[in-house]
Amino acid sequence: MAKIKIATDWLAACAGCHMSLLDIDERIVALLDQVEFTSSPVTDLKHPPKEGVTVGILTGAVANSHNVEVARQMRERCQILIAVGDCATFGGIVAMRNMVGTQAALERAYLETETTVDGLIPDSPELGKPLDMVTGVDKVVKVDIFIPGCPPSADALFYAISELLAGRVPVVLPDEYFKYD
Amino acid sequence: MKQTVNLTIDGQAVEAKAGQTILEAATAAGIKIPALCHHPALKPIGACRMCLIEISKYQPLYPACTYEVSEGLAVTTRNERIDQARRFVLHMLFSERNHYCMYCEMSGNCELQDLGYEYGLDHWTYPTYTERFPVDASRDTFLMDHNRCILCRRCVRACSELVANHTLGMRQRGAKTMISADLNLPFGDSSCVGCGTCLQVCPTGALIDKRSAYLDMGHKVEIERVKSTCSQCSVGCGIEILIRGGNVVRVDGDWDAKPNGGVLCQQGRFDPLYDKRSRITMPMVRKNGTLQTADWETALGTAARHLAEVPASQVGVVSTSYATNEALYMVERLFGQKLGTDKIELLDAALPRLPVRYAPLSQIAESDLLLVVGANPVEDQPVASFLIKRAVDQGTRLIVVDGPHNPLIPFAHMNFEMADLAEAAQVAARAESPLVLYATGVADAYLTQLQGLERAGFVALEPGGNARGAAAYGLNGNAVGNEVEVLYVLLGEQVWGEAETEKVAENAFLIVQTSYDSPLTQRAGVVLPAAIWSERSGMLTNLEGRPCEANQAVEPHGEAKADWEILGLLADRLGHGPAVPLTELSALAAQGLKE
Repeated sequence: MAKIKIATDWLAACAGCHMSLLDIDERIVALLDQVEFTSSPVTDLKHPPKEGVTVGILTGAVANSHNVEVARQMRERCQILIAVGDCATFGGIVAMRNMVGTQAALERAYLETETTVDGLIPDSPELGKPLDMVTGVDKVVKVDIFIPGCPPSADALFYAISELLAGRVPVVLPDEYFKYD
Repeated sequence: MKQTVNLTIDGQAVEAKAGQTILEAATAAGIKIPALCHHPALKPIGACRMCLIEISKYQPLYPACTYEVSEGLAVTTRNERIDQARRFVLHMLFSERNHYCMYCEMSGNCELQDLGYEYGLDHWTYPTYTERFPVDASRDTFLMDHNRCILCRRCVRACSELVANHTLGMRQRGAKTMISADLNLPFGDSSCVGCGTCLQVCPTGALIDKRSAYLDMGHKVEIERVKSTCSQCSVGCGIEILIRGGNVVRVDGDWDAKPNGGVLCQQGRFDPLYDKRSRITMPMVRKNGTLQTADWETALGTAARHLAEVPASQVGVVSTSYATNEALYMVERLFGQKLGTDKIELLDAALPRLPVRYAPLSQIAESDLLLVVGANPVEDQPVASFLIKRAVDQGTRLIVVDGPHNPLIPFAHMNFEMADLAEAAQVAARAESPLVLYATGVADAYLTQLQGLERAGFVALEPGGNARGAAAYGLNGNAVGNEVEVLYVLLGEQVWGEAETEKVAENAFLIVQTSYDSPLTQRAGVVLPAAIWSERSGMLTNLEGRPCEANQAVEPHGEAKADWEILGLLADRLGHGPAVPLTELSALAAQGLKE
């Protein structure tokens, strides 16, 4: 049987969710008999393969135009999209920006901090443009499975992948893996 | 009218009391219906719609918390349609204000979060709300974060229904509705009495205790609750001591306890946790003019030697009335009976007893007239003042006989100076079931004027914590005077002030049993470290004369020991032992109470 292909990527994230994925530890070796991790922030391949993958995993909030592009590309190239972590499901820590507004946050961060000298708000065309509102991934593309948590435990991620491998959809997280913080 | 009503809930035949709500009937039958705005101690208002249920003969869903049971109702508490409605309510609640659990101190101990988990809210359907609301931290002990508020109004109802203080209310409309104190004052500047009853009923992280919230109050699973009795005043409120990792995190009122029914005051809930005095943790003995730490053997030995050296007439005892029954019993037995001194003084002596009918505090709610004489329960027994104000809300007449500054006067229908007590008594005599509450502010001569009130019940608002217990053992405030050579001071946690210092003979050898450093310990020959309220078990007799159980929640600090244990060890040293374990001592002390 061909291996199930998984692609992952992060949006506005701290990498904690990907650390949780790696925290699956030695079980990941057994998992590799059945799945193939294609693109991810920690592998050489950075974009999901054009021919598509079965499972796409996104961590992090949608905070700028680049995040929107990454989320859309992942959605186009995967069959089942999983939003992993509080940022991807609710906006998380990144959404604290919504409480002050994007412009005010940029000004505070790049112009007004006590140690700033000749501050400048970055505006290179290569950078994503910050959005007015930080949201979870599902406000931009359709999400099939949500795994909240900051970060979700390795067990929660392993459980979800195992359920998918067993062909059980939708994934209903048991109580012990379902948490908001 | 029929007393019971038969209905079915989820197919289960349930017999409910007439007048009960469906929620109450279901809870009694062990069927759980979720609720956020409802609290068993408060009147239901059906605000949150989490308790929606289906009634077979009707199309709409109804809130179980306000729907009264009736004969033959067939109620369904959970099916897909109900779950969908509840999930919708939760989505709406989460979409308003800041309900990101990940940055809330109460995550892990929140009723909204629990329901989010139970109903599988793994994401939010509605856009999140981004308006920022203020945080009011103007009160000393707990703060209000309006961003976490779900407008359930539990705090508002607790403030008016339970504490009868009516500080909290609402202002604005719709999503902009705000919990507000008085006419929109900061809580710290408002008429708030800081009792924290609102804090105790808040289902989310909107009201958080400045102390416990940052001591991981959120880790509900790691928090243990120990039932005990508050020893701050003579009301004897039931408390729950919340502990985590061997530390006291917070004190809650015990909902099942008499006479407070869950309510506490600032003195009971917060003050013991904010005591800034430095603890005495080791026994100390004065050597060459300076106090030095010693072991218990040495300290007790030195104390016993000094007590045995002088005749009984030269031994005096000054005792706090905040001690346990067991300790007060030991004071009387050891010093009064065995050593034979008659110089045993109580710092707060019990009130004189009249040949009248004494009533429990629950009588406050059942009387048609309350006559408060020479008492200031607002400051001295705050929970009793809540009960009084609650009764006034229900239409009970209140007469205050005291000086013009008694804080109950604004709530009173009439008030008199003490000289006009007879006039007040005349008014009270016309009531059906008046209740007289008196305290130290009334002289004995005046008290006798009240004895003629034939239909009246009486409540003595005792000073001190356990003055009734002390009085039962015959400790009732004979002055020690300045002539003793050895003075044993059982101070416990009580504050030793200027006035008390005058009670102590300058040349007396002082043996001080206390929890805190004070000017007194600086003069002492022997200091014996006493455990505080959370560290000792024992019985306390409240002002109604009811024995209340106090239970140890945490280990004593350093080498401190329970008040009764120290006295037991000392008695043993003096050849009047042996020191007995608590259960045996409690039985002896209880025997003494009855006599």
